[in-house]
Amino acid sequence: MPEIFVTVFDVFMRTYPGFLEASVITLELTAIGVVLGTVIGLIFALMKISGSKILRGIANVYITVIRGTPLIVQIMFLYFGIVEIYTMSNFWAGAIALGVHNGAYIAEIFRGAIQGIDPGQREASLSLGMNRKQTMQRIVFPQALRRSIPPLGNQFIITLKDSSLVYIIGVAEIFSLANREAAQSYQAFESFLVVALYYLVLVMIFTFLLRLYENKLDVDKA
Amino acid sequence: MIVGKNIHKSFGDLEVLKGVDLHVKPQEVVVLVGVSGSGKSTLLRCFNFLEMINSGEITIDGHTINPKKEDLAKIRAEVGMVFQHFNLFPHKSVLENVIEAPITVKKMKKEEAKKLGMNLLRKVGLEDKADVYPSKLSGGQKQRVAIARSLAMEPKVMLFDEPTSALDPELVGEVLQVMKQLAEEGMTMVVVTHEMKFAKEVADRIIMIDQGTIIESADPKNFFENPQNERTKQFIQLVE
Repeated sequence: MPEIFVTVFDVFMRTYPGFLEASVITLELTAIGVVLGTVIGLIFALMKISGSKILRGIANVYITVIRGTPLIVQIMFLYFGIVEIYTMSNFWAGAIALGVHNGAYIAEIFRGAIQGIDPGQREASLSLGMNRKQTMQRIVFPQALRRSIPPLGNQFIITLKDSSLVYIIGVAEIFSLANREAAQSYQAFESFLVVALYYLVLVMIFTFLLRLYENKLDVDKA
Repeated sequence: MIVGKNIHKSFGDLEVLKGVDLHVKPQEVVVLVGVSGSGKSTLLRCFNFLEMINSGEITIDGHTINPKKEDLAKIRAEVGMVFQHFNLFPHKSVLENVIEAPITVKKMKKEEAKKLGMNLLRKVGLEDKADVYPSKLSGGQKQRVAIARSLAMEPKVMLFDEPTSALDPELVGEVLQVMKQLAEEGMTMVVVTHEMKFAKEVADRIIMIDQGTIIESADPKNFFENPQNERTKQFIQLVE
């Protein structure tokens, strides 16, 4: 067997207990980023399609600023900016940064999906005597949510990978572990190859679960 | 039942309705005809406030409506509408489509609503499709479900906006049949359609709209045999 496989395997065997532990942190970061991002995204999507100029304005500023600046800057900003005012762990600073970042992208996903629903759906609902809120809740949004699932899945995968950036504020997720391993053992190539495999496997599991869910929705509708 | 007085409606600079007066009596079936762009669909949409009139007055069942002050949802609940493209809710089964508004708007009990829904589906001949999703239905079946969905709110008047225009020719009959049956039961109906045979057989009155005004209003016999307006004559020649 070529030498490289042996050393990669060595690194893998030596580091997997640590990586498994760090994977939990990566998944926690991702989960918080996704949930928080979805909540924020939904709120800002509704603001963006609302009749109020002020709400639309706020949503536009938020989306423009977040999409216009790098995540790593947002992480640093949140960590050093907010921690000054309100004490929080670096884990939470990182998780919130991921959520806030995702929120802007998810808001656009929801907005696009809501506005993509045939206006006839809204008209039919209104013509039956349903008010605007009922029409949104029962007719437009459920359909928009279905359409949002593929792009949301994509965004979730991006979040999983983007969670690596919080290593910069010292959160012990898998990338920071790989980074440390590389520095300590001088086996940089092997360490980063191993962490790449962890990400790849996690993303593949994610993709698989998403596909199951999408198929289930299709079956429901058929 | 529905009275429109001096209705004006513009989209930007384009004046679509230029002072339309229309009085639909209870149990009357009025068919609106006219070339496309004449304003007939817009007039229909004004009657359930999917379009807001710029000036004029709309009275429904003796009640003059001020769209700025009133709960439009309540008014729309009394005015059923059937659309050209059906607009069924694709994420809900046929029965769920029908019972959605009675449950959400009227707060009807689910069991009661289901009974009502099944009765209406029987009426349009689709009780066997209750649990099917709209994507599995033909156009004619979709439109019949849409009619049942509208009827579930027990509207005082039904508006039909070119209900058969999107259908394959062989599916038109089944929808017209349901509409005819409704008319016979005494439903007040305003129908925009190009189906002249239906107009002849079912309408109490045919109204010709041209360039945003009513130019002819007569019972079917007089409308077809003795039209007064030159443009009506042209239109009849065109469709006959």
